[in-house]
Amino acid sequence: MERSFASEIESLKRGEGEIFRGEGILAVTKALLQSGVSYVGGYQGAPVSHLLDVMVQAKEYMRELGVHVEACANEASAAAMLGASIAYPARGAVTWKSIVGTNVAADALSNLASPGVMGGALIIVGEDYGEGASVVQERTQAFAMKSALWLVDPRPNLPSIVRAVEKSFALSEVSNTPVILELRIRACHVEGEFVAKNNVVPALSAHRRAAPAPHDYDKLSHPPVTYAHERRKYAERMPAARRFILEEGLNETFAGKRDDVALIVQGGLYNALIRALQEIGLADADGQSDLPILALNVVYPLVPQEIVAFASPRKAVLVIEEGQPDYIERDIATILRRAGVDTALHGKDMLPMAGEYTSEILVGGLAQFIERHVPQLANAGAQNYMDEIAALRQTAANLLGAPAPARPPGFCIGCPERPFFAALKLVEKERGPMHVSTDIGCHSFATFAPFSFGNSILGYGMSLASSAGVQSFSRTRPIAIMGDGGFWHNGLLSGVASRLLNGSDGVLVVLKNGYTSATGTQELVSTPHGAERRAAGAASATATELTIEHTLQGMGVNWIRNVHTYRVGDVKNALEDAMSSSYAGLKVIVAEGECQLERQRRIKPLRAAALARGERMVRTRYGVDDETCTGDHSCIRLSGCPTLTVKTSRDPLKSDPVAHVENGCVGCGLCGEAAHAATLCPSFYRADIVSNPSRFDRLRAALSRLVTKAA
Amino acid sequence: MHSILIGALGGEGGGVLMNWIVEAARAHGLLVQATSVPGVAQRTGSTSYYIEMAENPAAVFALVPMPGRVDVVAVSELVEAARLMERGFVSPRRTLLVTSTSRVLTTAEKMQMGDGRFDSARILEAGASLAQKFVALDLDALARGAATMVSATLFGAMAGAGAFPWPRALCEQAIGANAASLAGFAAAFESAAAQTRNAAPPALEKPVEDAPPAPPALRGAIEALPPAMRMLAARGALRCADYQDDAYARSYVERLARLAGHAPVASPQRDLALEEAARRLALWMTYEDIPRVAALKTQPDRFARIRAEAQMKPEQILTVTEYLKPGADELADILPQKAGEAFLRRVERKGAPGFLGRGLHVRTTGVAGFLTMRALAQFARIRRRSLRFAREQKAIDVWLDGLCDILPQDADFAGALAQLPRLLKGYGETAARGRANYDRIFDSLVAPARKGPRDAARLRQAMAAAMADPDGKALAALLA
Repeated sequence: MERSFASEIESLKRGEGEIFRGEGILAVTKALLQSGVSYVGGYQGAPVSHLLDVMVQAKEYMRELGVHVEACANEASAAAMLGASIAYPARGAVTWKSIVGTNVAADALSNLASPGVMGGALIIVGEDYGEGASVVQERTQAFAMKSALWLVDPRPNLPSIVRAVEKSFALSEVSNTPVILELRIRACHVEGEFVAKNNVVPALSAHRRAAPAPHDYDKLSHPPVTYAHERRKYAERMPAARRFILEEGLNETFAGKRDDVALIVQGGLYNALIRALQEIGLADADGQSDLPILALNVVYPLVPQEIVAFASPRKAVLVIEEGQPDYIERDIATILRRAGVDTALHGKDMLPMAGEYTSEILVGGLAQFIERHVPQLANAGAQNYMDEIAALRQTAANLLGAPAPARPPGFCIGCPERPFFAALKLVEKERGPMHVSTDIGCHSFATFAPFSFGNSILGYGMSLASSAGVQSFSRTRPIAIMGDGGFWHNGLLSGVASRLLNGSDGVLVVLKNGYTSATGTQELVSTPHGAERRAAGAASATATELTIEHTLQGMGVNWIRNVHTYRVGDVKNALEDAMSSSYAGLKVIVAEGECQLERQRRIKPLRAAALARGERMVRTRYGVDDETCTGDHSCIRLSGCPTLTVKTSRDPLKSDPVAHVENGCVGCGLCGEAAHAATLCPSFYRADIVSNPSRFDRLRAALSRLVTKAA
Repeated sequence: MHSILIGALGGEGGGVLMNWIVEAARAHGLLVQATSVPGVAQRTGSTSYYIEMAENPAAVFALVPMPGRVDVVAVSELVEAARLMERGFVSPRRTLLVTSTSRVLTTAEKMQMGDGRFDSARILEAGASLAQKFVALDLDALARGAATMVSATLFGAMAGAGAFPWPRALCEQAIGANAASLAGFAAAFESAAAQTRNAAPPALEKPVEDAPPAPPALRGAIEALPPAMRMLAARGALRCADYQDDAYARSYVERLARLAGHAPVASPQRDLALEEAARRLALWMTYEDIPRVAALKTQPDRFARIRAEAQMKPEQILTVTEYLKPGADELADILPQKAGEAFLRRVERKGAPGFLGRGLHVRTTGVAGFLTMRALAQFARIRRRSLRFAREQKAIDVWLDGLCDILPQDADFAGALAQLPRLLKGYGETAARGRANYDRIFDSLVAPARKGPRDAARLRQAMAAAMADPDGKALAALLA
């Protein structure tokens, strides 16, 4: 795993009255323990990876408490885990990144929602929406509504988030319904503090085992009981939930100085709203707003009497709801219309339908709302602010002269996936354009320059499945690329099994780096373990871990090539073979190279210890000769390595910058391999630096120096 | 309310810096909140961290910075500073901007076939005029000097520039017992504090260029050239002498003198054309062939340079391995003209001999590898009779004739034409592509211009198009 949580594990043990300091998502972890959770599962992905990562690392303590922690193979398997709460009074929580994870989990979620739960069931989703999001922009709200799951969207501060977790379990139990808690990316990573409580030993656990539940058809999601479930969702569970929300005051009303106009906001947007109000002089330094605010910490279901009571005395209400479509606003409109309330309702008519609601965006919407309904209040603040910022940006653009170049994420220094794409680029150069179905994972960085590969992304592990239609009519064989993370998440069944079932043609590349690296190098079923790592030493430990290859063989894949990604020429040949082979079935290239982050983590201490012992040690780095480089940068267009960069030539005659290798180079060797495979130029050299040289090294160097006169 | 926005690249330790600030703020008795959007940006992409702090216990902290309302913007890399200015986070009304002047070039800048680097000077000028207070230091160099990360030096620069309402000691307490980080912090603190005291606008250091001494025998001839040419002419003459011999350097200066003879009265455009011609002629006449590469690879000071670049200790031993892959064309290039042509005909009939087109690893720090390279360097002796030499001299003369012809009539067009050989670079396929582009532009835009109408702008556009993509799409579209 990429990060160590040693100090965070200690803060999970804090007791009654002690201060917990840390990240939002870790506060959720602590709140789960304070709620007496029996089991926790999930699938990693920003921004919720840490919730599970810290628990996986805190194995000892979890065992002591009796909390079962499961790193699931995908979100469907995590959602299905909640089945434990259907017939047992066990509290359970699972986590994943939404919307994509919720999509994968949808089948289990529907079938969980139908019978409902006895023990509290909580789904913590990282609502990856807006800036920094790495997934398609959709909302979890749709899933909550269609399955009748309750959706909690707390105000983004640690005490509110912790209270939301604790109350969600109670809400789930009182209404027999699983609850989704959504946290936006910045709320997950917010650094704050709250007053802790003691952790609660779970009702059921490895220490307190239960007898098997009796057969009860009503707990199955299967006709005929599903008809009764459907009725019960709206006749019993939802009213119970609404009562609980009201009684416990889960939604918060903040009184204002005036009561003719008011605001209804998703809890998660409360802080952004206050900052916008402060900017236009409608809230003071304590966050006291002039306009009354209803903060919806539960965004589904809404409580009609609460909405009516809040809105009916007003002339107008503005609903601040991030994301599309306007589910909450429509819900409120229906509630008010049915109750015969004629308060004017605004929302997406004054605020943008799409995109993140930052304070800056909210200022614009608020300005329109005030202008329309309280024109006497319409100070110049909002317009001034918007004008000021527009002018500021224009001035900056003029001063800079050109837009700042984009800097999307990319492959790390020494990443073993980079050489694969260099090889693919060489194949493309020789064979012409090809259709590349790409996937989710680190390798999707190859969609950016300098590689710019990919015709479609259909989801995690979906690349092979998404090329099935294309291969039926494409002039050349399409290539599907997935990582080992995607392979185990979905690709094996959706892609490989389907292709084998149909006996059809296809080319699949599995980039085997041993981990789900983009999410923080979590382990897979094919992650190399102790023996393989020790045997590998400084080499790639994924070479000898053959779970993927054996699985493919066992399923009946007859054409498999295994290549190490750093042998660019070999990778190129394997791709050529797959593209031109007369074999008409599925062809799989397993391109192997251990995640460089994990490899470095493994070998750094080994090297440091060996150096300290005075052992002979060779460090390799690459370099470019300034004098022979002509500044065309073909090498960079085949690599994109952060340490392969350009610098002004030492020769003032050369006006174009020359290529240059920085000292962060880990000596992966792609530069040299690519220079050879692509017949680039003679400027690259490899420097092997021997520390603690042997007598033979020294003798040989001394003799060579007699001839070379080198230093 | 005090707000701080940190711009950084994934993997630089921005999270560590954020935590230090949070810890120092808490130690100072402030309420503080911090957040970030790491996600996949942790993999070398641009990312940001946002911190708010206040004394007021009722304060509501925002999670997203508001344009124009950030008190401190601190950035570990210069283009990231530009990005935050572009987005409106640096305001003359309140923002202290602390930035590193160091660059981590983006792929988009590096992959250009010419110079795609963003102009750092413009970013510094923008910072000076947009920020209320502006501090810019090379935080990367300071970090390297202290063997630490840029997070430590950025922290020091922020503290030194007065970004925090607490004393320096609280920062150092937050860093803890890490000596390297503390050293980096201190170095940056002092520099930033000094810059703040002096209130001098930060600027990039420009290397001062001294004219090198020209070969003695040619000094008079170079002095006779127009002033705009002299400095580059001296460099070019030295380069030609090193490449071949003094006679070759003389022919370089004579070619320049011939062009100068056609020069009209002095004008900035004329001077630019002459300067560029001196530069391009020198580079063209010293084209890279096998003996040139072999000679450069075996210079004694090269190994010293590699040792320095890799920060090697004296007791460590260096082995240097070259990646060479000579092709049939490159071998034919260095053979005597007739032999080279015969060799190419043979290759066409029977294919290239087996040793060509294969990747070779040559250890130049070893005896065998070194001597092989020295032997190849000896081909320079027959260079004047070689196939490529004849071809290049002919093309140079055609270009120079064109320049002499056009310079008196249209100095602007001549300036563009002087630059045209910039397209000739690289080895193997890259070189062939450059030559094809050069020929295409010369035939379609330059040759007709000797008599007919001249369009300097179009010639420059064609050069830019040739450098726009390696597949020649932009150039084809322009000339279509």
